[in-house]
Amino acid sequence: MPADRVGWHTVDSSQTTILAGSNPEVHMSQSYDRGLVENFGRWTEFSAGMWAWVFHKFTGWVLIGYLFTHIAVLSTAIEGASMYNGTLQGLEALLIVRFMEVGLLAVAVFHILNGVRLLFVDLGLGLDAQDKSFYASLILTGAIAVASIPTFLGGAF
Amino acid sequence: MAEHYTSFSRDDTRWLLQRVTAVFLVGVLAFHFMLLHFVHHAYEITLAGTTARMSQPGYFITMVSFLIAGTFHGVNGVYNALVNQGIEGTPRTIVKYGLIIVSLLLIAQGIRVAWAMTGGQLI
Amino acid sequence: MSTHVSESESEAQAGTDQQTTDRPAAQQRRLEKKRASNDQREQADSSTETDEETVHLKVFRYDPEVKDKQEPRFDDFHVPAKKGMTVLDALIYSRDHYDSSLTFRHSCRQAICGSDALFINGSQRLGCQTQIDELDQPVRVEPLPHQEVVKDLVVDMEHFYDQMDTVEPYFQEEDLPSGLDEQRQDRENREKIKMSTRCIWCGACMSSCNIAAGGNYLGPAAINKAYRFVMDEREGEDLKQQRLETIEEEQGVWRCQTQFSCTNVCPKDIPLTEHIQELKREAVKNNLKFW
Repeated sequence: MPADRVGWHTVDSSQTTILAGSNPEVHMSQSYDRGLVENFGRWTEFSAGMWAWVFHKFTGWVLIGYLFTHIAVLSTAIEGASMYNGTLQGLEALLIVRFMEVGLLAVAVFHILNGVRLLFVDLGLGLDAQDKSFYASLILTGAIAVASIPTFLGGAF
Repeated sequence: MAEHYTSFSRDDTRWLLQRVTAVFLVGVLAFHFMLLHFVHHAYEITLAGTTARMSQPGYFITMVSFLIAGTFHGVNGVYNALVNQGIEGTPRTIVKYGLIIVSLLLIAQGIRVAWAMTGGQLI
Repeated sequence: MSTHVSESESEAQAGTDQQTTDRPAAQQRRLEKKRASNDQREQADSSTETDEETVHLKVFRYDPEVKDKQEPRFDDFHVPAKKGMTVLDALIYSRDHYDSSLTFRHSCRQAICGSDALFINGSQRLGCQTQIDELDQPVRVEPLPHQEVVKDLVVDMEHFYDQMDTVEPYFQEEDLPSGLDEQRQDRENREKIKMSTRCIWCGACMSSCNIAAGGNYLGPAAINKAYRFVMDEREGEDLKQQRLETIEEEQGVWRCQTQFSCTNVCPKDIPLTEHIQELKREAVKNNLKFW
């Protein structure tokens, strides 16, 4: 999981002080800090909105990571046509890259669809259907990813 | 009332910009994927084709805006995630300026690449 | 050991072990007999547990003053089931019949006082509002997550109350409209703030929010309180601006990630996420106006 998820199951001491109120020392000895209970050990108890958040964060990390590598790969254009064409076609010849592109499409489609869902939530529209719209995003993402497989793998074998 | 600040405070600027760029990116990312995977297949791409597209001013401007909006949206998202993580004080300042510098470098390199892709045929 | 495991019982056991060697034979026999009948009773208990007459509770126990309970553990209680029984009823029964040291907050038993928000089967709920027969058994009862446990099911609510106080959750306008002796509110405005006034300060929302868990986020309850007074037309304009500034701060509305956890658990069905989102838009509009 991306680094931002780690905090769900780690507790720093400063936080304990905040929660404990004015006299941390007394509280430390008299009360019990259970830490962050909703860690991934309890994933079965997560609700739709929490899953949407987890997936949106995860796909977001993938996309920003991809943006950096994308610009790096395209930078070969500065070196001239043979370098650029060679690099792109060399990468496209790798089967693993084709599969990763399907993954990238799935990630992008989910981020777009759930992003639209979040924009509606920001506008205060359809809040009662927020769980259904998340499930719809998931299903649609799956369908689009599966449907795109022939296009992405075309000519790879 | 009189004391109320009139400037746009930073947190809501970032919040609003994150949404505005989102709206733009939804359209352009979908367009980008359609064009370069379904209309033109990725394995058929050559510099000649890229240059033909990039030489159109509208396309060039769209792609550069795409880069800038995407970088802001992504890096701002990363920063928000780290703030949620509870990063504070000096590490936070370092991360903030680090991310700003990295973003500017990415945008600069992206524009450099885009310019090279036009093959000097733009305008 | 199917029923209550209290510290008195284990202490008694420790005592018998120690004395076994120098005890007269007659007393030894009586003790054996007693132990056997105890076992029988426990077996009887566990046999009733299989038919649907009892409710199986697993309750979080912690007490810094009792050596045995300094390390948190779960105790099992088998409570006779009754129609309409709530989790709170079962806890009260357990305390009154099995272990008087079982500690939890409760008062009105009708979802008004907000004392008995608990973490029941992995979700924040009011004990008094949760029907036992709607839950999977065993029913796991824990104190609210993300707050320090003081004893058993009692958590330290100080941080929550501090956050509530931040938005000054009370009506402050003193000026009366001209010609009136009272502050009047029109029907539309009453409807607008109606749901937000229902908060009972139980802290379930705050406990369910994993953003609030990590630190100083103002939290859904306090933001909802701000909403209640920001949207109330009777409240003065300067107080509205003051509260908007509070919720616009870094630890305010912007931290909300719209996971809907708070809305899902609110025992009074307050649309918390909706209110937080409306305040975000209100804050942006408010600042754009001056820009």
